[in-house]
Amino acid sequence: MMIRRTERSGIGEARWPFFLTLLLAVVVVAVPPIFGHAASLFTFYNALQSTACLGLIALGLGLTMIVGEFDLSVASTYALGGMLAVKFGGGSPIVGLLIGVGACVIFGLVQGFIVARWGINSMAITLGGSLVALGITGTLGDNKSQSYENYDVGVLLNNPIVGLFSLRSLTAIAMFALVFLLMNLTKLGRGMRATGGGRRASRTAGVRVDAIITGSFGASAGLAALGGVLQSFGTATATSNPGLFPLIFAVTACLLGGVGLTGGRGGAWGIACGSLTLALLSEFFSTLAAAQYVSSLVTGSMLILVTVGASPLIIRTWRESRARRTTAVPVPSAI
Amino acid sequence: MSTATVTPVTAVTPKARRSTSSRITLGVTIAAIVVLIIGTLTTDGFYSLANGKAILNAATIVGIIAIGMTYVVISGNLFSLSVGVTAAVCAMTFLWALNYGMVAAIVITLAFGAIVIGLQGLLVGTTGANPIMVTIGAGALQEAVATWVSAGVSVYPPEGANYAWLAAPLFGIPFPVYVFIAMTIIGELVLKRSRFGRSLFLMGESPRAGRASGLSIATLTTGAFVVLGLCTAAAGILIGAFNQSGTLTATGTLTVDSISAVLVGGTAVIGGRGSVLRTAIGALVVSAIEDLLLIRGFSTPVQLLVLGLIVSAVVVLSQINSGRSNR
Repeated sequence: MMIRRTERSGIGEARWPFFLTLLLAVVVVAVPPIFGHAASLFTFYNALQSTACLGLIALGLGLTMIVGEFDLSVASTYALGGMLAVKFGGGSPIVGLLIGVGACVIFGLVQGFIVARWGINSMAITLGGSLVALGITGTLGDNKSQSYENYDVGVLLNNPIVGLFSLRSLTAIAMFALVFLLMNLTKLGRGMRATGGGRRASRTAGVRVDAIITGSFGASAGLAALGGVLQSFGTATATSNPGLFPLIFAVTACLLGGVGLTGGRGGAWGIACGSLTLALLSEFFSTLAAAQYVSSLVTGSMLILVTVGASPLIIRTWRESRARRTTAVPVPSAI
Repeated sequence: MSTATVTPVTAVTPKARRSTSSRITLGVTIAAIVVLIIGTLTTDGFYSLANGKAILNAATIVGIIAIGMTYVVISGNLFSLSVGVTAAVCAMTFLWALNYGMVAAIVITLAFGAIVIGLQGLLVGTTGANPIMVTIGAGALQEAVATWVSAGVSVYPPEGANYAWLAAPLFGIPFPVYVFIAMTIIGELVLKRSRFGRSLFLMGESPRAGRASGLSIATLTTGAFVVLGLCTAAAGILIGAFNQSGTLTATGTLTVDSISAVLVGGTAVIGGRGSVLRTAIGALVVSAIEDLLLIRGFSTPVQLLVLGLIVSAVVVLSQINSGRSNR
């Protein structure tokens, strides 16, 4: 088996996701006035706030997708991180943050080790892991939401900075930037894409495949937990069961951001664009004061559409049509 | 994605497969007996006729859906993560359709379940799209449409509708238990004796070999999902009849329970191996464990935690045992 051509995930590669984000931003500004509503700077502030939490889940999930795996437990580790932070961060939010993120990183590393060591199907093993994390979260939280009494932390995290950002969103942006730099300026990104592109060949070529897979799951759980901590501290509430919405958001954001379903493709910039696009879409419906089910309807449809769009049949058809177009260019005949 | 890259590392001979299958059957049976012994020795009230009926009742709904899920897993399409929502929507559909009489209500609900889940199978089968993502998206869609159509309120049957017998005892045993037993027998026969069932095994074992031998992956995948749809609709009918009202929140942990039953029953998560009969035993084991934890005062999260540990252990052991990995 040959290693597929690996690509850098620079800004240029994710131009379509970026254009989509820009398009949504224009729609959010231009369309609501037609129906008697109006978007404001606060709309974009809210979109960034959502991206700060859910986008981090997408970033974590995306890392496992790039190495050719899938972490179904991200929504559960998101809830677990938030619950641990609230339960143990009463005295000091830093302690809560460290326990929340640290415990989930260990949890993710264990899942990753199992996947890497025995070649277990990651969707199956993380389904079990998802139930375990959800069980621990529910047990800690007595099967209900838990409030966080240190409201100052929420105020600090949500306080608008130049009207658009907050400490919460800036933290998320910093994490996206860190992953972007790690993937583009170090060997790690190349190793991850090589692992996703062709595992056995990568192993033969000296890539530390097992360590990369294990680490990706650790990072996935850690990033999802950080999203959960930011959400719990920011809203002063930790939820026991987040449902499937965070997972739906994360998967759709990754696919919109150009992360390949077969591994080896994608990066932090694309995932950031995908997350922001979805967050803007949600804000668009909020601005129009649409019912909650309209947003679910659109999100569900989008997930199906992008999943089918990234399916082997569509990709094959697209590649064939591109190859036909390339070969159909007329060659000037020699006189 | 690992689903696409799973390849057999070593050739698994039919004899080895039979041996693995026997070991799994033995393992599931031992697990069931161990749960029963521990429950009986440590928990007051566990070994009683009333509790036995409660376990059987719980296993019935989970088991009926798990029968359909077995077909999907064996076909190599992992599992569906939206059967809980579909079962709830089917319960609502059934109670509403009782306006047109019992037979029409059953037919409409079965057709609804088969179409909704069959369409997901068609999408997966024709394009090769990831089944987990398609089913999650379809779940969100169903939830949204059901909320829209029902205006977010519970659905009740029409006054005077005669449907209670569907949940009532017959010769001392609840009617759904007969449905479960009948569906288990039919499900096992179709899977093991029909051409459709044998083709599913071949496709799950190796889609490439299946395609080379002339199998239509799209038709078979759609067929497996249609079976899941029919089973989910049947469960929805029984849920509606039991609850006498239909809401989206009526099915709780049904999705993970049914997947757990299939995996505990020893069906290989990467496809190509499994049995409806063992799934039925798996459903009984899962229900007995949940019942045991409930009697001992443990909450739903603890049940999820234990279920998660069991699922993880079964997946690891089953895949190591099968000699197939994507390393």
